[in-house]
Amino acid sequence: MLYFTLASKAYSRNLQYRGAHMVHNMASAMFGYMYACLWIGIGTDHSLGEYGTQGMVSYIAFTQSSLWISGFLTNGLGIPLTVRTGQIALDLMRPVHLFTHLMAREWGQIAYQFVYKSIPIYLLFSIVFSLQWPSEASTLLFAAIGLAGASYLSICMNYIIGATAMWTTESSWLHWGNHAMMNLLAGFFIPLEWLPDWLERIAWLSPYPFLLYVPTRIYLGYANGSLLWGTLIWCVLMTFVCLAITQILRRKVEVQGG
Amino acid sequence: MKTTSWFTLYKILIRTSIRSRMQYKFNFMMASVLAALIQISEFLMVALVLHKFGAIKGWSLHEIGYLFAIMTLSKTLYRTFGNEVHHLEKYLVDGELDQLLTRPMPVLLALLPQNFRIMAGEVLQGGFILCWSLAGIMHSGQIGWTVIPLSLLVILTGAVILFSIGLATATLGFWTTRIEELQTITEDAARTAAQYPLTLYPKWMSGILLTVIPVGFVNYVPSLYLLRGELGAWVLVAIVVVAILSLVASLRFWKFGITKYQSTGS
Repeated sequence: MLYFTLASKAYSRNLQYRGAHMVHNMASAMFGYMYACLWIGIGTDHSLGEYGTQGMVSYIAFTQSSLWISGFLTNGLGIPLTVRTGQIALDLMRPVHLFTHLMAREWGQIAYQFVYKSIPIYLLFSIVFSLQWPSEASTLLFAAIGLAGASYLSICMNYIIGATAMWTTESSWLHWGNHAMMNLLAGFFIPLEWLPDWLERIAWLSPYPFLLYVPTRIYLGYANGSLLWGTLIWCVLMTFVCLAITQILRRKVEVQGG
Repeated sequence: MKTTSWFTLYKILIRTSIRSRMQYKFNFMMASVLAALIQISEFLMVALVLHKFGAIKGWSLHEIGYLFAIMTLSKTLYRTFGNEVHHLEKYLVDGELDQLLTRPMPVLLALLPQNFRIMAGEVLQGGFILCWSLAGIMHSGQIGWTVIPLSLLVILTGAVILFSIGLATATLGFWTTRIEELQTITEDAARTAAQYPLTLYPKWMSGILLTVIPVGFVNYVPSLYLLRGELGAWVLVAIVVVAILSLVASLRFWKFGITKYQSTGS
């Protein structure tokens, strides 16, 4: 119940900024539109494998909309800011586990972004590019599970990044590094199979493909639900890392402000 | 005050700003390296596609690299000197602009040196891609040495155009207070769009990028002449004129906007 309240508070806090977010949605849609134009341009001279031009446009539309639930999360789950203000000491004293506490808040944020960002942007792309929707319920179900797993993985990754603020005074550089990796290894703009062999192999050793590429492939019907096993394995692994990090955090608290 | 004294004052303010920034050397180094990394990852994204499929609408990897590098370096130049214009929202929301208004100098002159930004990462990355793409295009015999000094001119006029777009967007903040969302469209999205040949986009969109938000003049239009010999030498005059017109228009808009400023601070 407590976690649900935390999540719903985060959701309703965001509702205050709906107007501003709509302007931001336009910008995000513009980025997606631009990337789609790039693929349409490439598609005029080349055949685009199993996707074809329309398939690649659908691919971009889906990854761009998904970014809001598996890519653009609160930087470090807000930990860097609480380290700077000293609030982290109080957060660690609460009778709620820091990881689950921050995670609940982030789920509220993700739910908001899904409803007010991902869905409007995808609907807009659906109209502009006349996208086909999946006809089978199982495809939608597997894609939804893939996306939920992607959000969870991203929450864990942001928690780890945020936690490093405890020791480095500044974790924004890790945040940007993570962003760069998403660009290259998550299949955001290029499907992974078109990467050079060695890079594709590196990508599959990391959790990044499960953030965007896997849910997108499943949603578009190019892959079945079996890829979700990978998502599950990474979720379990990441959970252990996050719990271990919290243990270390508790032992040594360092605040910068107060 | 004479212009020379304004300039001396500006230099002192910038020196102070640099000194304060250098207090955190490790942060500065890490931020620079990561800035270069993220920029390169963005370019790699396209480079990988071009590597797989070859040219995009007749534009080779080197040519697109040139578009990309010019845009990065122009933006870097703009943000080095005019970073605070991009972050005007902070001043509007916190009421910090009040302090600057009381200083016996033009507001812009007080605002710009507040945070002189040394963007080593972007300069490294942009410079590297520029040299690499120019070398590639020269090697194929498509262009001569004159492109190098002309590219410097293009970067300079590009920075002026980007600064003008940034200033005009920031000025809207005098009415709306919040400008970050708008900046994502006029600065980030527009700039990213112009990193690729504008022929990729539908007419209405390339039209906007050449008139309303003239980012097309930062890199695309000059490259048509410099790299591909299209249009004519008048292009160089045109980009200078566009830069001057944008600057004058945005400065006038800024002057008008500041008369509408209402403090929101406590």
